[in-house]
Amino acid sequence: MTPRRPITTIRTVITSISPSGHNVKLFALADPEGWDLPPYKPGGHIDLHLPDGPVRTYSLCNDPAEQDRYLVAVKRDAAGRGGSILLHDQIRVGQEIGVSLPRGGVDLSDPTISHRFVAGGIGVTPFLSAVAALQRAGRSDFMLHLVARGTPPLADLITPLVEAGQAVLHDTRTRPRPDLAALVGPPRDDIAVACCGPPGMIEDFEKATATWAPERLHIEYFLPPALPDSPEARPYTLVLARTGTEIAVPAGATILDTLQANGIDVPSSCGGGVCGACHVDWLAGNPIHRDRVLTPAQRERTLMACVAASADERLTLDL
Amino acid sequence: MVAGNEQAPPRSATSFVGVVRHLHITPRAFLPMRSMADLTLIAGKGIEGDRYQIGREEGFYSHKPEEGRQITLFELETLEALERDFGIEFSPRDHRRNVTVEGVPLNHLVSRQFWLGETLLEATRLSFPCRHIEEVTGKPVFDPLVHRSGLNCRILIGGTVRVGDLVRNT
Repeated sequence: MTPRRPITTIRTVITSISPSGHNVKLFALADPEGWDLPPYKPGGHIDLHLPDGPVRTYSLCNDPAEQDRYLVAVKRDAAGRGGSILLHDQIRVGQEIGVSLPRGGVDLSDPTISHRFVAGGIGVTPFLSAVAALQRAGRSDFMLHLVARGTPPLADLITPLVEAGQAVLHDTRTRPRPDLAALVGPPRDDIAVACCGPPGMIEDFEKATATWAPERLHIEYFLPPALPDSPEARPYTLVLARTGTEIAVPAGATILDTLQANGIDVPSSCGGGVCGACHVDWLAGNPIHRDRVLTPAQRERTLMACVAASADERLTLDL
Repeated sequence: MVAGNEQAPPRSATSFVGVVRHLHITPRAFLPMRSMADLTLIAGKGIEGDRYQIGREEGFYSHKPEEGRQITLFELETLEALERDFGIEFSPRDHRRNVTVEGVPLNHLVSRQFWLGETLLEATRLSFPCRHIEEVTGKPVFDPLVHRSGLNCRILIGGTVRVGDLVRNT
């Protein structure tokens, strides 16, 4: 039957759900007929389009060389926005879930650069796929530091790394949280450092790496950082080039919310400029970019609709 | 003239003999294309198992139904040009058309009928480059593919197409 709307997600089916430590479950997703899934970079992530609407972003934690499944680890967060509770309590094996194309990831392509990964709790997930890719390439020039309280999440995946001397556990139940500046050391051209964890850890990591070159740094956010208030925010007009439609954006409103309020479907997830889901190409105007994902070159053509704004009175989008 | 062909064939001559070099299908939008040794073409419908087979409709553009999009072709020479002129490595799997041919001037074939192995096709229009391919492949190919993004066809006589089959004028 002809679909009435564009297909915007990859159809997958849950093929297994397995517990992996306290409050953590591993969900495996595959094509309904076992076809290969779109490839992803080590440390990449996908959006899960959950039943009844919520869209949640999770890091892929299996080896990217596994082409026929995506594996995500989800910690049940009773105080969260509800996505993890839904996954833990309602999603069953065999259920269909739409997912986005994979995005993001860490660059492991240069064999002369070694890697230090710093993770807080369940923030270890993106580095598991990165570690798997490095090991598959025969590389051991990496170290994973995992800060966790008590038994770490995904312990069965972490323990072999610890035993091999490729990971260090920092148990904050028995010791103070480690000094991140000491873990990453001084800036070096031949080392790249990456961090994924709760907001407090990210803040400390940003301070510890303030003098590092941006191309040697990678940060994965659990939650989007709060945008600074902009009292000077003004209303402006969005022009949709393909139809000529003009839409007024009230002062302080987001492009994403304005488009969706006008019935224009733009995939979105984090709402804070970190996940990359709501990218829209722009054609004319002077966008203000406030995301954390686009490169300067990408910003010449693309904006993230959840956080971008316009410095001029009109901004033309390729919609 | 085969039923369903309502346009008069163009009068200018075109002469070629080409070869089928690669065959690909995928059952659903976004999924990687899979290389096949042969494809089964069904007249008036499409390729067995492909996302745009009429009745299946699981392609990225299936919400815009198009009777003349039963099978798509792409020139091997365009892949060579992407590498030569733009430094973009683009494989026969990446362009997301079904058939990669060598030695066939696809842009000359709009509104013409031609043989693809034992099957007879009619070219309905040039394919357009699309941002979707950039999104799926992560490679900036939109601009370089303008006017050489392949050919959409309907299937007039079905059958089995194999890698190595000849592509010929009617």
